[in-house]
Amino acid sequence: MENQELKGKVGIVTGASRGIGRAVALRLVKEGARVAFIYAKSDDMAQSLLKELKAAGSEGLSFKGDVRHYETCREFVDKVKELFGGLDFLVNNAGITRDRAFMMMEPSEWQEVIDTNLTGYFNMARSAIVTFLKQKSGNIVNISSVSGISGTSRQANYAASKAGIIGLTKALAKEVAGYGIRVNCVAPGYIETDMTASLKEDLKAKFTAAIPKGRFGKPEEVAAVVAFLLNERSNYLTGQVIKVDGGLHTSW
Amino acid sequence: MPDKMQEEILDIVSMVVEKEKKQIPLDAHLIQEVGADSMMALEILAALEKKYRIVIPEEKLKEMTTVNRIIAMAKAARKK
Repeated sequence: MENQELKGKVGIVTGASRGIGRAVALRLVKEGARVAFIYAKSDDMAQSLLKELKAAGSEGLSFKGDVRHYETCREFVDKVKELFGGLDFLVNNAGITRDRAFMMMEPSEWQEVIDTNLTGYFNMARSAIVTFLKQKSGNIVNISSVSGISGTSRQANYAASKAGIIGLTKALAKEVAGYGIRVNCVAPGYIETDMTASLKEDLKAKFTAAIPKGRFGKPEEVAAVVAFLLNERSNYLTGQVIKVDGGLHTSW
Repeated sequence: MPDKMQEEILDIVSMVVEKEKKQIPLDAHLIQEVGADSMMALEILAALEKKYRIVIPEEKLKEMTTVNRIIAMAKAARKK
């Protein structure tokens, strides 16, 4: 059992019904935090997560909505503050892929990915920041991707959104550091989630061969780094991008 | 009573913008004429909420342009 190092903290994880977001929500609750999450699609997955969160030690709070809509995000943040009595951290994680060869990519496929992955992060951070500024404390962790650092073919839309998140993180971190607010980025490499499950086997083998640790990462291994960034232990760390990729990408 | 609140709010504004009270005319534009910035407006808002135990929605930030407007806003929020 993890130490209760986030006891008393209240926060939001977006896109928590599956994958990395789900692992993050669970990990944070195990460390004593109360977690609210927003999800777009699966009611069943959200319900089962609420059960898991409860079993892990805390009543969760779920909200169905689309982070592409600013008003939805505002409403969600207000709800969390009302029901949980505050807000200490935000983990922006909700993301989608619409992979396609660039010459075949539709403008709608570009837009959907940018709107969800990048504007969605803005919408949530913007909705939470005034609360953080007023209380002179707060913590934001943005989940980016190694794809946003080194690029991945057939992912021009996704890579652009994930690189944008890094710029957002760095600029905001500088702007609000003086107000006791930290903003950091986690850039996972290949992680075992639904997002990578659909990869063809030969492609998976090729990627695995390129990873120095010789395997895909687990969502829990990303969640552990998010928990560290939300912890007071990392108090002097802000505006950074931490790659969690088994050594895949080592230059900067 | 109204004068007391005016004095208190002027105290808060003076402290946040780091100017003497006599340098802050009640109708002077805080950003354009007094030298405040938008983050100072937020600090004033937070101080008012604490002092008067009121809640001022963040949309009101844009309207906090002069001390007089801030006073009116705080009074309105107090009545609720």
